[in-house]
Amino acid sequence: MELLERFAHGDKDAFETLFRQYQGEVFGWVMRIVRDRGAAEDLTVEAFWRMHRAHAQFDPTRSFGAWARRIATNLALDQLRKMRREVPLVVDVADVPRVNPAIQRETRERIAAAFRDLAPKLRVVATLSLIEDVPHREIAEALGISDAAVRVRLSRAMKFLREQLKEQVPGHERN
Amino acid sequence: MNETDDRELREYLKKEVPPTNAELQRDLWPAMLRRMEARERHVPWFDWVLLGAMAACVAFVPQMIPMLLYHL
Repeated sequence: MELLERFAHGDKDAFETLFRQYQGEVFGWVMRIVRDRGAAEDLTVEAFWRMHRAHAQFDPTRSFGAWARRIATNLALDQLRKMRREVPLVVDVADVPRVNPAIQRETRERIAAAFRDLAPKLRVVATLSLIEDVPHREIAEALGISDAAVRVRLSRAMKFLREQLKEQVPGHERN
Repeated sequence: MNETDDRELREYLKKEVPPTNAELQRDLWPAMLRRMEARERHVPWFDWVLLGAMAACVAFVPQMIPMLLYHL
């Protein structure tokens, strides 16, 4: 029996194989959304726990990676809702290159504040599309929405960010 | 708003909130196993309710003890 079929039948060894195969991918995806290593690790484990519980609902003819990403995205979205207004946008300095170290702390905080104020469902799309350059189709699949809905959310997010940055960072405003 | 503005905003954001390319630095399987074991040890809430109901019966209606013992 194929690995995915064994997983769908509740085989724990098959689950472990899939876990080891996909944990890095799921972690990387969640990390792009929540941008916090500790939270991303916890959410990765939680996502696989949900996959383990829902093994009978998995269709072995479909992509496990896409299914895993969808579950992980929903969890990451819930996490963003919890983090909103409680925790500032966390960028793990060790994980990202400092493009411009001269950028003033105040400006960074303003950008972080603008992102934090975005509604989570817009923030996910904005982060993945604007910052991480993820194609719309992939975002749509992960969120379980259409490409058109992704474009609408992105447009709304950009409008919001533009307004916020114009107010907060006068240098950004174009003449 | 035109494409130039969008591109400018995108670049500006990328500069301030750089993309993350984080890789997993440890195996999460041990944490997964702990998660699964914790769940297996978890007692469902209705079991606690049943236990409480039985304790209440024993405390307030001791005549039910033989009947409870019979059903155990």
